[in-house]
Amino acid sequence: MCRTMASHNRILSVLKNGPARRNLFGPVDREQLQVEYQTALQQDLEEASQRWGFDFILDKPLASSNFQWEGVPGTKVPLLYRSCLLDEEQGASRRAAGRICKVGRVEPQHNDKENIPHTPERCAVNMHDLEKTPERGENAGVKRKQTNLTDFYQAKRRVVWMPRKSGE
Amino acid sequence: MELLCLEMDTIIRARPDPNLLCDDRVLQRLLTIEERFLPQYSYFKGVQKDIQPFMRRMVATWMLEVCEEQKCEEEVFPLAMNYLDRFLAVVPTKKCNLQLLGAVCMFLASKLKETRPLTAEKLCIYTDNSIRPQELLEWELVVLGKLKWNLAAVTPNDFIEHIVKRLPLPEDKLALIRKHVQTFIALCATDFRFAMYPPSMIATGSVGAAICGLQLDSADQSQWGDSLTDLLAKITNTEVDVLKECQEQIERVLVSSLREGRQQQQQQQQTQRGPSGKGLEELDQSSTPTDVRDVNL
Repeated sequence: MCRTMASHNRILSVLKNGPARRNLFGPVDREQLQVEYQTALQQDLEEASQRWGFDFILDKPLASSNFQWEGVPGTKVPLLYRSCLLDEEQGASRRAAGRICKVGRVEPQHNDKENIPHTPERCAVNMHDLEKTPERGENAGVKRKQTNLTDFYQAKRRVVWMPRKSGE
Repeated sequence: MELLCLEMDTIIRARPDPNLLCDDRVLQRLLTIEERFLPQYSYFKGVQKDIQPFMRRMVATWMLEVCEEQKCEEEVFPLAMNYLDRFLAVVPTKKCNLQLLGAVCMFLASKLKETRPLTAEKLCIYTDNSIRPQELLEWELVVLGKLKWNLAAVTPNDFIEHIVKRLPLPEDKLALIRKHVQTFIALCATDFRFAMYPPSMIATGSVGAAICGLQLDSADQSQWGDSLTDLLAKITNTEVDVLKECQEQIERVLVSSLREGRQQQQQQQQTQRGPSGKGLEELDQSSTPTDVRDVNL
């Protein structure tokens, strides 16, 4: 285990001052932090809009878009890209949907492009663990879900640059 | 409250892959892409108004301590510092949010590199609960956006094996050399002066410093002579003078941090009678820090 930092070490230990658990720069201004967070997200969203030529809030392509956008039903995209559902009940239905998707999957066609992933397969299997960090007693914690960038827009597929798979 | 670690050290790791380490293309590719992941500006001169170099050092030291205490993989800390520097190069940040940023960067680096990553809850405890897990997760998204989701940055650690493999080093010293090199790399990551250096240069300088520090270069003068630096420079396509300067800088940082640590320990011991017996021993050993051999890493 010499590659972990456990075996360290005198040089770095002299940098230490007191217990590692400490607050460095005083209290955090939570309200201000929230404002900055919202601003930063907003900015990210605007940049994404410009880049992809899509209004993610109105869910419409921008007039100036360099891409052609085409709606795709949620069930046709890999699970990973579906809108995230937060509460227990919906979570259950999401898992159900995952199963349907898995069962309903057509036999894998002999696709000559090997590097095109057969996404529903793998996603369906790992769904429960998608955003969990292994931690004891997790269930006891607050029910919370990490935000995805994809939470902010519905699944869409870009069609211009992607050749269609023959089986679709 | 005590932090209780019940995890067992049973992580299974891959062996070094000779296909990757012996192929020159891998090293060349690393050298080609490493510049993409450097922070764009020396941010204390422009972007940042509220934070100063000593604050970066404070947060870096804290991050290193957390990584150590949590037995993170070696590359987690340098990688987290890379994220921190790249973020600070583009986003003006307040001092009171710097620790949150440090925690987020560790969170991301750990998730990228480790089989059992640090959890948000744990990291929040390490900030003495000055931040909440929810905030950590929210800012994770912000940091990811600013880094353009480019997380697989090249770190100095990526070069260690490539460099060490190309040097005629005694087999029985390799483990020790690696350990010293990793220590120097971590030390560099705490110091802003190294933040804009390409990772390959930091790695090469650290290997040089480690070999010189262990005086392996003097064992066989005919083999090394003055050529260690030349050889190192050739491996990573670095200019010899620049590399020499980098290595000397690493050695200076080492000396000054040892001296600083000594003063700190003395102060601590004056106020409280040494909490551990080992403290005194360490003190004696580091009293002449010019000879790295005496420093038992």
